[in-house]
Amino acid sequence: MTLPTRRTILTAALTIGLSPLAAWAQEATWPTGPVHVYVGFPAGSSPDTLARLITEPLAQRLGQPVVVENKAGAGGVIGVQQMLAAKRDNHSFGVTINGPLTTSARLTPDLGYDVAQDIAPVALLATSPLVLAMATEAKPTDIASFIEAARAEPEAISYGSVGQGSGAHLTAELFADAAGVEMLHIPFASYAEVTTSILGGEIDAGFMAPSAALPHVEAGTMKILGVTSAEPFPQVPDAPVIAGQAGLPADFNAELWNAVIAPAGTDPAVIQRLNTEINAILADAEVQRKLLDMGWQAQGGAPEDLGARIEVDTALWGAVIDRIGAAD
Amino acid sequence: MTAWEGLLHGFSVALQPTVMLYCVIGVVLGTFIGVLPGIGAMAAISLLLPITYYITPESALIMLAGVYYGSQYGGAVASILLRLPGTPQSAVTTLDGYPMARQGRAGVALFASMMSSFVGSILAIVVLVVLAGWLSRAATQFGAADYAAMMVLGLVAASTVGSDAPAKGFAMVTLGLILGTVGTDVNSGTQRFTFGVTEMMDGVNLVALAMGLFGVAEVIGNIRSAERQGTPERVTLRQLMPTRNDLSRMTWPTLRGTALGSFFGALPGTGSTISSFLSYAMERRVARQPERFGNGAIEGVAGPEAANNAAAITAFVPTLTLGIPGDPIMALMLGALVIHGIQPGPMMLEARPDMFWGLVVSFGIGNLLLLILNLPLIGIWVSMLRIPFRWLYPAIIVFMCMGAWSVRGSGFDILAVAAIGLGGYLLSLARFSPALLLLGFVLGPLIETNLRRAMLISRGDPMIFLERPIAAGFVLVTVVLIALSLWNTWRRKLDRTEHSGHM
Repeated sequence: MTLPTRRTILTAALTIGLSPLAAWAQEATWPTGPVHVYVGFPAGSSPDTLARLITEPLAQRLGQPVVVENKAGAGGVIGVQQMLAAKRDNHSFGVTINGPLTTSARLTPDLGYDVAQDIAPVALLATSPLVLAMATEAKPTDIASFIEAARAEPEAISYGSVGQGSGAHLTAELFADAAGVEMLHIPFASYAEVTTSILGGEIDAGFMAPSAALPHVEAGTMKILGVTSAEPFPQVPDAPVIAGQAGLPADFNAELWNAVIAPAGTDPAVIQRLNTEINAILADAEVQRKLLDMGWQAQGGAPEDLGARIEVDTALWGAVIDRIGAAD
Repeated sequence: MTAWEGLLHGFSVALQPTVMLYCVIGVVLGTFIGVLPGIGAMAAISLLLPITYYITPESALIMLAGVYYGSQYGGAVASILLRLPGTPQSAVTTLDGYPMARQGRAGVALFASMMSSFVGSILAIVVLVVLAGWLSRAATQFGAADYAAMMVLGLVAASTVGSDAPAKGFAMVTLGLILGTVGTDVNSGTQRFTFGVTEMMDGVNLVALAMGLFGVAEVIGNIRSAERQGTPERVTLRQLMPTRNDLSRMTWPTLRGTALGSFFGALPGTGSTISSFLSYAMERRVARQPERFGNGAIEGVAGPEAANNAAAITAFVPTLTLGIPGDPIMALMLGALVIHGIQPGPMMLEARPDMFWGLVVSFGIGNLLLLILNLPLIGIWVSMLRIPFRWLYPAIIVFMCMGAWSVRGSGFDILAVAAIGLGGYLLSLARFSPALLLLGFVLGPLIETNLRRAMLISRGDPMIFLERPIAAGFVLVTVVLIALSLWNTWRRKLDRTEHSGHM
């Protein structure tokens, strides 16, 4: 009994989809099929977990399955490339970290896309500052004494990052420039390696994701000297804001973020609808709590806000890349 | 909490029926994942991850861990029977396991691999319980210079693996090292040998390399001889049983492999592939008749299998005691805990002792289950050899492509398997050892990264390799090893000239 009914509905749906009359209906009934979300990192990674936190309620709200496509590699660039290559009108989107939208154009040769031309911003999902962390027994106790120690001689302080051109590297160099010091950069592959190296006394410091440093702060083996965002970060409420300290600019602000994007040419009405749903999801207290557990603060806002953020950060990090490029 | 109380507590967690069930699911799945060439624990765990949202964190961790160490058991099966390593860790098992199978001793080889896997795991659990604190402190004491020196020792020690001609072996290690340089330079961000292909920025895919070199090359090689393939005769129960001689040959390699694996497993970032290679190299060095290796020496199966299973257990030491995952799979497992709101870190042992001790006890239960599951399966695995090649090989190719694809969902990696496979076939025609290429590929990037990192940290002073006691120790052993082999070569030459002089 159920089978013919389903078939009838399916036929009806197909007819509507194929009919030229249905142009108006398509907009009203978007999404017409599964929505594909491209993530440039492997399943189980932090950007992936964050994406799934959003896609699960999104599927319920849209009444269509939301398929997460993990296309990992090149720091998230492959995920964006694959989203653009999918050519699935109004049904391909991406969740990405800031890198592929801001710094990759400078750092990755043969990027294959132009952010301004090929990407339509949808919504900012969440932001996270980095924390300046050191081993507990290290001498500096705050930002001022850290800068003083770094001034003793060039490269007096060594710091670890999660790779050349990573957020951790660029943030450290932004800080070094603002403080007028020169630090020695040691690239690692992950915060796990940076942590081991700091605990083993091999390197002095690191600008780290709060959730990477926090467990070791609680264990008493690490301390946090400051946080790079303009406002204190709820996950580490006791950590002082770096901005304005020890002669640093009062507007010092460096944050990593995650955002939802679409290929340029996606129907503006679809982007608006998606933006509304995402803002509703991010307003949920339970979602906010889960994000914070993972080290992210829910944001949201209009597509234009994300567009502005991309422009500001592209300029900010571009200047840092120019400077360290010139130094090399 | 003392270790004894902890263990009792662990039993109360791990013996709950539902937790046991997830342990069984994990190890069974792990075994089969391990047997299938190319599809590894990484793919299986990332597929299972969404399911873990709905079960308790203890069950989730125990199940995922079961997949991880279970796959180490299964990995040896295809290595021994078909010369197709189920996982990169078991590539070295092909060197002697496959010749044993060709001599009609497939059952014995499988038995040796299961037994040594089991013994290695159980002893590593004891190591984990007794030395967890010490090992985790040791892990943080290892700096970049120490890692670099240790890896150089590993490379020198293992460079005699599976090759009769030293020049050919040297060529393969070098080729592996060169392949390892492909990708983004860690220190400068420069692209090396990527030819503008974004997919190559993260380097050559290890699974694609292992599958291409061993799997595809072997399949192509067998197509030529497929017609001549005689169906292997029925295996009787007697042939499965190792002789007393086999058992005594297995004992010491298993114990030495366990020791090596326990140590390397606990160091973040070194892992089980390296420990299985080093174990093989060690057995070959200490053997009275090294020429037996490569021709079906049971020691060459028992040692590496004990090593990679022991490493799979102690890999949990930095992960659980420090919250520092040693490899991407461990990072995934910690990710499963984060989903449940548990922040992995040095405090986890105190904050969630049920988690740590429950997992430790589940290791014991899981390994016992694996042994019970795998011993009867030996007969079935061996009978797989009777499947006609025209069915078996296409299926294998499909699985290998799935495996290469599963790493990051990239079609490029499937093409890479095909290209590497063709190259691997040409190498095998010329009798070059693919195992040494793989060794160079695994160790090369580790040596390079750590060497350059050490030089950065020392501000360009190479004395860092002699000033740090751990690094200096490794450098010393390496020098002694090279001196010894030079001395041996020279003496042999001297002997020969004296001998001919008398005549």
